[in-house]
Amino acid sequence: MSDINTVDLRGFVSGAMNEVFDTMLSMDLELAEEGVQANVAGERIVGSVGFAGKAVGSVSIQVNDAFARSITAAMLGMEEDEIEGDEEVHDVIGELSNMVGGDLKSRLCDGGLDCELSIPSITTGSDFRMETKGWERHERLVFRYQGQFALVNVYVKTNG
Amino acid sequence: MPLKILAVDDSKTIRMIVKKAFKAYNCEVIEAENGKEGLETASKEKPDLIILDITMPVMTGPEMLEELKKDPALKETPVIMLTAESGKENVVQILKMGVKDYMVKPFKGEQLIERATKIVTLESKKGEEKDPAKRYFSIVEDLQVLTLPQKFDRPASVEIERYFKLKVEEMVNTEIKKFILNISRVGGTNVTLIRLIIMVIQSCQKVNVGIRVVGTSALRDELKGFAETSEITVDLSIEDAKGAL
Repeated sequence: MSDINTVDLRGFVSGAMNEVFDTMLSMDLELAEEGVQANVAGERIVGSVGFAGKAVGSVSIQVNDAFARSITAAMLGMEEDEIEGDEEVHDVIGELSNMVGGDLKSRLCDGGLDCELSIPSITTGSDFRMETKGWERHERLVFRYQGQFALVNVYVKTNG
Repeated sequence: MPLKILAVDDSKTIRMIVKKAFKAYNCEVIEAENGKEGLETASKEKPDLIILDITMPVMTGPEMLEELKKDPALKETPVIMLTAESGKENVVQILKMGVKDYMVKPFKGEQLIERATKIVTLESKKGEEKDPAKRYFSIVEDLQVLTLPQKFDRPASVEIERYFKLKVEEMVNTEIKKFILNISRVGGTNVTLIRLIIMVIQSCQKVNVGIRVVGTSALRDELKGFAETSEITVDLSIEDAKGAL
């Protein structure tokens, strides 16, 4: 079984984000250097999936409203003004977090850290902060695409 | 009779992607949001192929598949499983369930069609060009012409960009060094169009291919309104463009 402290979380998540954005959205993401602040202020949306088993944790993707709409239009093959409502945007961001979380979950399972994936959840708003405690690992990755940012947070710990 | 494809996924996004993938073929895509709804729809519609997600609320994909296999009228219906998890154990589990094939998300519509054609016979809709590149690209004398469609939206742009990259590679290795981007049929300007025009011009310049844009006077005036395209010369006919190249 892999040691959670040596698992290449950054590599796994960055690979999954690039593959998902390239395949589904034809967007070439650029991973920012560690420590770069993501400008996702204002109205924003967070798509998250959790996993539980020998490894417990979550993967969340946070983008601002404008980028979320660009992503939705690209995913559904339409123009932004054709988006019918928030439901479509939420579904797309949820599905992205499901794909990235699914990839990480698979890699953890392949390393002996068996776990199950949850259904995606969505948080929206402009005035909220995410605080978490008690994790063994936390990775924060910032991606850029044409002046927009996607912030990914990964929290993991071993169970028991 | 069109083929019936049943897409069972709790994500509307994935159902839409499946629907778009089969759009060019003589198929009817029916949707269901979970395994329970999927079973009911399958009993009623008797689909020729089921595209089934694994993780869904109410009833999961594997649970639906189990029920499907118990039903003599549906047990032979081929199923392609969709999963966000590519782990070895997950793949082995999927194959044990007796599905025809599986796809790991993310996937492109074309990849799904490729898998589906191994299971069912897909017929292109009448009037649909089988080679999408031929819908947009043509050779006129010593010129490569790219003609954009009337409805120029993001999916069309993505498809065209993919073939354009191949055409540029071809031009580098052939005698064809002149390119015309014909936007005359496009219904109106949008950000996607502006981005594509800039990309085409820059790509041609990079490989020393002469490029001209052909459009209507209305489109020419609209392009002048965008900072990125305000300096672009728009010829009003292919003949004019040929003369300028």
